[in-house]
Amino acid sequence: MSDSTVRRGIYTVIGVLILCVMLFPVYWMVNASLQPSGNTLTAGFLPLDPTFAGYRRALSEQGQNLVTSVIIAAGTVVLCLLVSAPCAYALSQFRSRWVGIALLAILVSQMIPGIVIANALYTAYERLGLLNSIPGLIVANCSSGIPFAILILRSFMLSLPPSLVEAARVDGAGLFRAFVAIVLPISKNSMITAGLFTFLFSWSDFLFALTLTTKGGVRPVTLGIYQYLGTQVQNWNAVMATAVLSAIPAIVLLIAAQKYIAAGAIGGAVK
Amino acid sequence: MISNRIAATLAGATALSLVLAGCGDGGNGSSSSSGQSVSSLTVLDYYNNDPDKALVQKGLDSCASKLGITIQRETVPGDTLIQKVLQQASSKTLPDVLMLDNPDVQQIAATGALAPLNDLGLTGDGVIQGMVDATSYQGKLYGLAPVTNTIALFYNTQMLQEAGIQPPKTWDELKAAAKKLTKPGRYGIAFNANATYEGSWQFLPAMWTNGGDETDLKTPQVAEALQLWVDLVQSGSASKSVINWTQGDAKDQFVAGKAAMMVNGPWQIPALEKTPNVKWDVVTFPLNKPDQTPVAPLGGEAWTVPLNKDQAKQQKAADFVKCLNSDENELAWAKARFTVPTKTALLDQYVKEKPSMKAFTEQVRTARSRTGKLGDKWPEAAKVIYQAIALALTGKASAQDAFKQASGG
Amino acid sequence: MANATLTRHDAAASGPEPAHRRRGRRHRGEDLTKILFVLPAALAMIALFGYPVVKNLLMSLQDYGLRTFFTGEAPWVGLKNYTTVVTDQLFSQAMVNTALFTIGSIAFQFTVGLALALFFRRRFPLGNLLRSLLLLPWLLPLIVSSATWRSILEQDSGILNRTLTGLGIIDDPVPWLNSPSVALIAVIGVNIWIGIPFNVTLLYSGLAEIPEELYEAGQLDGATGWLAFRYITWPNLRAVASVLLVLGVVYTIKVLDIILGLTGGGPANATQTLATQSYERSFIDFKFGEGAALSNILIAISLVFAVLYLRATRRAVDE
Repeated sequence: MSDSTVRRGIYTVIGVLILCVMLFPVYWMVNASLQPSGNTLTAGFLPLDPTFAGYRRALSEQGQNLVTSVIIAAGTVVLCLLVSAPCAYALSQFRSRWVGIALLAILVSQMIPGIVIANALYTAYERLGLLNSIPGLIVANCSSGIPFAILILRSFMLSLPPSLVEAARVDGAGLFRAFVAIVLPISKNSMITAGLFTFLFSWSDFLFALTLTTKGGVRPVTLGIYQYLGTQVQNWNAVMATAVLSAIPAIVLLIAAQKYIAAGAIGGAVK
Repeated sequence: MISNRIAATLAGATALSLVLAGCGDGGNGSSSSSGQSVSSLTVLDYYNNDPDKALVQKGLDSCASKLGITIQRETVPGDTLIQKVLQQASSKTLPDVLMLDNPDVQQIAATGALAPLNDLGLTGDGVIQGMVDATSYQGKLYGLAPVTNTIALFYNTQMLQEAGIQPPKTWDELKAAAKKLTKPGRYGIAFNANATYEGSWQFLPAMWTNGGDETDLKTPQVAEALQLWVDLVQSGSASKSVINWTQGDAKDQFVAGKAAMMVNGPWQIPALEKTPNVKWDVVTFPLNKPDQTPVAPLGGEAWTVPLNKDQAKQQKAADFVKCLNSDENELAWAKARFTVPTKTALLDQYVKEKPSMKAFTEQVRTARSRTGKLGDKWPEAAKVIYQAIALALTGKASAQDAFKQASGG
Repeated sequence: MANATLTRHDAAASGPEPAHRRRGRRHRGEDLTKILFVLPAALAMIALFGYPVVKNLLMSLQDYGLRTFFTGEAPWVGLKNYTTVVTDQLFSQAMVNTALFTIGSIAFQFTVGLALALFFRRRFPLGNLLRSLLLLPWLLPLIVSSATWRSILEQDSGILNRTLTGLGIIDDPVPWLNSPSVALIAVIGVNIWIGIPFNVTLLYSGLAEIPEELYEAGQLDGATGWLAFRYITWPNLRAVASVLLVLGVVYTIKVLDIILGLTGGGPANATQTLATQSYERSFIDFKFGEGAALSNILIAISLVFAVLYLRATRRAVDE
């Protein structure tokens, strides 16, 4: 018993070391955010003489943008999962010669350069009055979220035993009810994973935010950060601080979501 | 024509446009109020960060109140402006007043998107010839720039004093000074030689001063100028990283004390003033031979008026641009934003009030615009220039061959 | 056990269950319901992508320049844009760079990602937290992470060279982003760094879906360690792994921001890929037709991988 405790302790140490390597650039960014110049040209490993000017500025100027980012990303996750999950289930379980064609079409959609999609949406939004709106940006972000979520969810649902749904059907449940009552709960893990990345895609979007907004009102952080990056003059100190600050609420959300990716969920359900 | 119809048909095939069909063509809402008095103008520019954003806003506001209108302003990051302009152009939603970087004016004017300002009562009289060249296309004026800027040589006065040298006046002095100022952890000079238009822009003082010309880049004068960059890097007086540096990076190096001199523009002065321990001064870019005159490139943005079916609005927009180019606003923006007025008559007064801008103002008097000779063909030449610089600085070609190789010949 | 693999179907199939292939026919009346499952997604896809896909194809056959945006005129030029971009002196180099960039990125992202995912499957204190934190790089705007990497890789003052010299591993600073022969490697390295969290998270979720019972059953047959991976883990992970790989290729082949942020395609074009070339032709040269032609070539290459993926999964489904 104490043997395995030691082993697990060693794993934790290894895990921390891996993290240190992987997150070093993130640390370096934090370091830069605490330098008056916003760069690390003369910085040591530790920010011994930190300045918080960038943080003060970011806090006072980017709060609203941060809220906007969270709303857009969360909205994208909800919309994408609502649309994608039934489709992914259909593509994984229903047998049809259209499945291959649908998958190909979905993959092709991900090969189109984002700017082409953004330009097309701009023209459409301009007429629909969706420019400068949160719903508009949510829909736009779905252009990367929906195809991704369908493909990912489908690959997980491929291994769902058909017997599960069959059993419910025998009890007289309709196809849709069986989907909601049985498939969705079992697919919790993959839904969270797909939702996680949909969130991240949407969070890091710059292109749609730039293209589909024309005034200051709706402005995600990725765009807000550009108010420190002028054509000729850049305030890296504030840029870095904004990046650090905006990552904090998001990582809390991600940790919370990831906690639910439980082990062996399906095994338990099948029993 | 055909393409339009096909594209429209295809667009109609998509679900989105089915929805659209119900909404009809709501295209350009701004152009329907012909004949009415104009109460507001839309403005697009790239001064997206403070303090510039707020300082420009002040000028815009004061002109707006003079004309009795309100303005709706949109600011975008600099490198996305053209993209935005194209989107708005294709959906016919261009702003009433559009700011463009001066070398882009002719390219956009060539598409027929801009209104000739001469017809709307504006002239380039009294404006530095170089800037009028940049904002004119086929003999007509399409934009006016209230203020301009250029680049010169900044130097750290303390470091030069310690080394016992005077600010360099010739290339030989520059190379010698840079070498002498180089110490472990510090380079003699920093500049931007990256493969962008910015890299070409930084090369122009050397190229033009030496008699090089963008109409023929395969001359010895141009090669000599490139040799100067190569010598500075190969002797170790400048970092090899200059091929990746922006002008902002060069400033960071200078501020951090890792470069004793730098080629840069006056827009860096506010940042330099934030670090009072770095003492600096500016001189015009050195000459290859003492009898040459310094020729630097003109920077700065012009304000233009996109064509508008609504004549009254177009006229109001032109009046607005005229107001932005009044003596009063030129001086106000120049003083607040460390730029130089474009009207020659204002220069002496300006230097008197703002002595720190003396070197830049001197450079501006003789400066040229990038598009003065080649017009909308300038970008091609600029591309050859920055590619040649990259080839020479990475040792893939000699300074003599670099331009030949870069132009694909 | 030697030539059989354990999958979830075996674990879940409690008793004879031969009927599921025919179940579609059994419920003919539910065809409508089935269509409703895919309808929202199908509409969304057509609305979002129908026009752009066709537009990109048409554009590549047109002389589509700066003027076109203002006048709408774009004369047809047939395949001229394609011949122009293919015969360009940079095309073959961009092609090779794209291949190296994609293969290098995917190979390392996937193997490192899989190794880390397997590692985090071992339960240990803080394991979940550490795994979640791996995603932090994805929360940073790319403009910020590429600027940070630029400062890390800076030849003279960058922390990487400072550290390596300090440890005595190298004598002279490595010109990470300054030398045409090293820059591509550095750029690939940064892209691998960005891709690892994506691979770890998805593979970890895939691993979490494999029922413990399979391992317990396998253990009885002597399948532990490598054997367990070969006969239990890998077959059950294949659906997730293959979609991950094909998405990896599709996403990696069109990577733009990272390269532009680190090197801008330089030095001396050493990191130009088809994607950066396409961007440059469209948004620097304003030759949108040629840019579209290049991006269509990219799409064609991606398509090959997409078809391979479809064949592989169809086989897997039929098994």
